[in-house]
Amino acid sequence: MTTVTVDNLSKRYGSTVALDAVDLTIGVGVTGLLGPNGAGKSTLLRCLATALGPDAGSIRVHGFDPAVPAQRTEVRRRIGYLPQNPGLYPHFTAYDLLDYVAVLKEMTDTQRRRAEVRRVLDEVELTDRAKTKVRKLSGGMRQRLGLAQALLGDPELVILDEPTVGLDPEQRMSFRALISRIGERRTVLLSTHQTEDVGALCERVVVMSGGRVVFEGGPKELAGVAEGQVWLSESPPVRNTAYWRNADGLYRTVGPRPDGAEATRPSIEDGYLLLLGTAVATGAVR
Amino acid sequence: MTDSWHIDTALLSDYEEGTLSPSRVMAVEAHMLACAGCRTRVPVDYTWLTGNFSVIYDNVHAPRVGPLQRLLTRLGLPEHRLRLLTATPALRWSWLAATAAVLGLAVAVSWLDWSGAAAMSTVFLALAPILPVATVATAYGPSADPMREITGTTPAAGPALVLWRAVAVVGVAVVMAAVAGLLLPGPGWFAAAWLLPALLLCTGTLALATSLSLPVAAGTLGGLWLTGLYAVVRVVRDDVFVPLVFGPPAQFGYLAAAAAAAAVLTLRRRRFDLGESR
Repeated sequence: MTTVTVDNLSKRYGSTVALDAVDLTIGVGVTGLLGPNGAGKSTLLRCLATALGPDAGSIRVHGFDPAVPAQRTEVRRRIGYLPQNPGLYPHFTAYDLLDYVAVLKEMTDTQRRRAEVRRVLDEVELTDRAKTKVRKLSGGMRQRLGLAQALLGDPELVILDEPTVGLDPEQRMSFRALISRIGERRTVLLSTHQTEDVGALCERVVVMSGGRVVFEGGPKELAGVAEGQVWLSESPPVRNTAYWRNADGLYRTVGPRPDGAEATRPSIEDGYLLLLGTAVATGAVR
Repeated sequence: MTDSWHIDTALLSDYEEGTLSPSRVMAVEAHMLACAGCRTRVPVDYTWLTGNFSVIYDNVHAPRVGPLQRLLTRLGLPEHRLRLLTATPALRWSWLAATAAVLGLAVAVSWLDWSGAAAMSTVFLALAPILPVATVATAYGPSADPMREITGTTPAAGPALVLWRAVAVVGVAVVMAAVAGLLLPGPGWFAAAWLLPALLLCTGTLALATSLSLPVAAGTLGGLWLTGLYAVVRVVRDDVFVPLVFGPPAQFGYLAAAAAAAAVLTLRRRRFDLGESR
C-alpha cells in the first residue's frame, strides 16, 4: 500500500537546487534515504513533514495534499517527525517535553495523553529518565527522546532525519529493533549516512545526489550495482581509482580491476560509492 | 519464626478481602516480607498494579501546577490549553526580566525632576503599544523557539496555536505595561491611553502575518507607527500632540481599525502556519 507519493518535486534555495524534479513512492516498511551532504535528503524530508513548502511538484500522504491548508492538518495528524536538529527545550524534563508535544498532537484527554507519554518513554527506554531535564541528558538519550516525540500518537508515517547520530553501538542496535518493529505495520522513512543502518533495517533504499533520485531498490540491489567491480589486492592499485586498506591488510578497490586483484562480494557501501561516482562522472547530477 | 508459622488459607482470604483489623494486616504483611513462600501465595492483579504504578508515575513526573495555573483552570481554561500557554517559549524568566527592566526604566525616567519628564511620558505612550507586538514577533522566530520545526509539523500548528501563544505573551506584556502606566506622572488616563493602539498593532500584525512572516509583519507595523508619530510631532505643537494621537477621536479610530484587522485575520486565518515557510 502506498503511503507517500512524490511527483516532480522541486525546491531551490536562491540559486542552489535542493530538489530537482523528484518522483518517489513509499509504502509500509522501512525506507532508507542515502546520500552525501547537500544531496537534498533533509529538504525532501522537510517537505514531506510539511515543515517546508516545495516550489513545484506535488506530495500526497495517504491521499492528502499538504499544499491545501485543511489537508495539511490531516497530513500532520498522520506523521511523526524527527528533524536533524530537534532543538528540544533544554529546561523541560523528558516527561514535560513529551507531554507538551502530545498536546500539540491534539491529545487533549489528560489520562490518555499521559499513558501515551509513558508508552513512548518505555519504547525508547527512557522511563527512568522521565524527570531528568533535557540539558542533562546525554546526546544519545536526547536523540531517543527526539524519537519518542516522533512516535507519540502512533503515526502512520514516521520521518526521521539522521536518527542514529549520537547513538552508541548498543543504542543503535536497540534503535534498529524498535524501528523494525514499527516498520512492520507503519511507514518509516529515515535518512542516514550509515550504509550499515540501511543494510540492517531497510527493505528499500533511495539514493539521492544533487537533488535527484539516482537509485531506488532493495539493499541487495544496491550492493548488486557494484557486482563484478569490487576487488581485493595485496598492493595498492596503480590506476587512479578509489581504494582503501581493509582490516586484513588487503586493498579494496571499487571500479576497474587492478592488476593481480581478485573479485570479492560487494557491500551496500560499494554499490553506493560506485553509484555516486557514476552519477557525478556521467553528469546525471551536479 | 517463618519456619514455624505461616499464613493459613482463612487468614489469607480475610487479608485479600480486606476484612482484617489494621494490626492483623500489619502482622500479615510483616510476615510476608520475611517469608517468600507466603508472599507467592498472594495473587497479583497486574491490571490493578499497573494502574497504580501509572498513577504514581504520573504524580511524580507530571508538570507541577502553580497558583496562576490553578486559577486559570478554575476560570475554565482546559488543562491542555494551559500546557500550551505555559510552554510558550517567550514566557521565560529572561524575557520577563528584560520587559520589566525596560518598563521600570521608562517609569523611573518619567519621574525624574527635569524638564524632559513630560516628554518621557509621551515617549512611553508612543513605545508601549509596540511592546506587545514585539513580544508576539519574538515568540515565534527560530531563535526564540528552538523546537519550531517539530511544533510546526504538528496538527496544532495552525491559527489556533499562533493566537493562543499571542494571547499568552500579549496578556503578560499588557499587564506589565498597564502596571507601569499606572506609575506614570500625568493624568490618570495616561495609564490606559496606549492600550487601543497596542490592540491595533497586535491584530494588525497578526493580520499582516497571513501574508508576511511574523517578525517582518511586526517590524513593518511597528515602523509605520513610529514613523507616523514622528511625522505628527514634526507638524503639531507639543501640547497638541498627546490629545491628537491619544485623545478620544484617535482612540475610536484605533478601535475601528483593530476591528477591521480582526476581520481580515478571521477571513485569512487558514494562511497561518508555523510549519510551511513563506
